[in-house]
Amino acid sequence: MTQRYPAGDVPVIELKNVNKHYGDLHVLKDISLSVRKGEVVVIIGPSGSGKSTLCRTINRLETIDSGQILIEGVPLPEEGRRLAELRSRIGMVFQSFNLFAHMSVLDNMILAPVSVLKKSRREAREEAMRLLERVGVADQAKKLPAQLSGGQQQRAAIARALAMRPRAMLFDEPTSALDPEMIGEVLNVITELAQEGMTMVIVTHEMNFARRVSDRVIFMDGGMIVEENTPEAFFSHPSSQRAVDFLQSIRTPEAL
Amino acid sequence: MNAPSIRDRLYEPPGPKTRRRIAVFTVIALLGLGFLLYLVVRQFERQGQLQPRYWDFFLKWSTWRYLGAGLLSTLKAALTAAVIAIGAGFLLMRGKLNKNPVVRWVSVALIEFTRGVPTLLLIYFFFLVVPRMGVSLGAFWRITLPCAISASGIIAEAFRAGVNAVPRGQTEAALSLGLSNLRTFYQVVFPQAIRFVIPSLISELVIVLKDTTFAYVVSYADLMQNAKVLITSHDSLVSVYLVVAVIYILINYGLNKLSDRMARGGARTAAER
Ligand SMILES: Nc1ncnc2c1ncn2[C@@H]1O[C@H](COP(=O)(O)OP(=O)(O)OP(=O)(O)O)[C@@H](O)[C@H]1O
Ligand SMILES: [Mg+2]
Repeated sequence: MTQRYPAGDVPVIELKNVNKHYGDLHVLKDISLSVRKGEVVVIIGPSGSGKSTLCRTINRLETIDSGQILIEGVPLPEEGRRLAELRSRIGMVFQSFNLFAHMSVLDNMILAPVSVLKKSRREAREEAMRLLERVGVADQAKKLPAQLSGGQQQRAAIARALAMRPRAMLFDEPTSALDPEMIGEVLNVITELAQEGMTMVIVTHEMNFARRVSDRVIFMDGGMIVEENTPEAFFSHPSSQRAVDFLQSIRTPEAL
Repeated sequence: MNAPSIRDRLYEPPGPKTRRRIAVFTVIALLGLGFLLYLVVRQFERQGQLQPRYWDFFLKWSTWRYLGAGLLSTLKAALTAAVIAIGAGFLLMRGKLNKNPVVRWVSVALIEFTRGVPTLLLIYFFFLVVPRMGVSLGAFWRITLPCAISASGIIAEAFRAGVNAVPRGQTEAALSLGLSNLRTFYQVVFPQAIRFVIPSLISELVIVLKDTTFAYVVSYADLMQNAKVLITSHDSLVSVYLVVAVIYILINYGLNKLSDRMARGGARTAAER
């Protein structure tokens, strides 16, 4: 289906007028957004503004009430094999890592490539070790997730998502559950991915990182996209008053 | 082995004063227990229950072979019932968590039914009603099936609690990797749920084992039934019941110990998460 479109013309991720409610709460208000190939989009906003929800709708971990979500031009199906197939094209990294607790790191890495992509175990294992090497946790491959530090777990989780060769990666506050000394190692891995041209949507509260890594900043508040800007413009002279207030509120003396 | 027990986790280690108090109470309690035991034994003695004729047949090999055969039948029935109950409980759990409301509703109804009906009533049903429906079952199935059915609902709920105890993030991570719902359940959720479930499965096994003592209703020659035969042939109610009780207690104690061991293993892996 995607083959009909010349590569590069179709956004990897596209949301058109997406709305979502939790009961009376209108969490996503008419969100439209498109992410081109190779683009790094950072989503910033106060707590409860709907950033996680937005991120999760892209993988249909949350359903939407109206609007449309397209992955490489294909509307996200509601269920079944085609949904699973589209999900596998988008890697997701969670705040709480979510490595499968009952399997070794290596088994975490090869489960989906073997059972979804139908790779041979040997091939999957080789690829897994290559990726673990790349994020610097190859020596932990035989351990259970609980035996790794938070930073190692998150790097392994990123490697696990990469093992599916995704077209894009979603990060929902990948460093918020980490001790301060481990944040850097995870951000470095993400930064490298950005430099290699991975398409990414990143929800983060790390402002320096956001500024450094992003091609575009999206500022959300109250379920709406309030501002969409280049990182330079957003962080030095945001155009909306709400963004000004937000940046003011989080700016600590040592940041920026 | 050295994982902290619940006691260690709930209470701080006792200081010297507390230790002294514990020692005093231990002595008093032991004296009390000893006295109670003495009263019981004296009462039996007075009633002549300790006379050799009530006990000497336990020296005979044939007595033990007979009890052993009964025990074997008990274990066979209990194990079969447990396997069936676990299978049915698993299906009922899958049913209760199904997306289809009809499947869900039927499963909930079955679970509530099996949990609510006394085992003995089910046994009478299989003993008296089922034959009238033209189905003839042997004594073995007349005791095994009701025991299995009556355990299945509780086991279904135990499975469900285990599945619900697995963090939601595990499912989400699996789905986001493109795993189907079925694979997500069987490869990610259920293997983790099973650790939470094993202790309650074993407690349920103990109940199944105790339920099989209803076998006398359907004349299935289980341990209890054979004990009754021994009682009549030797006219020795107290001694036989005591011995049989000890056998049941030993088996169930073993099962409970096993469950404790597994629960501690499960708690450890859960805590490491
Ligand atoms: N499952 C749910 N049921 C009901 N309300 C929910 C649910 N999940 C989120 N919400 C609400 O939706 C709103 C948006 O939540 P969301 O998690 O998307 O915010 P967020 O921007 O990611 O915040 P944070 O920075 O704290 O992670 C919040 O008000 C939240 O309370
Ligand atoms: Mg969030």
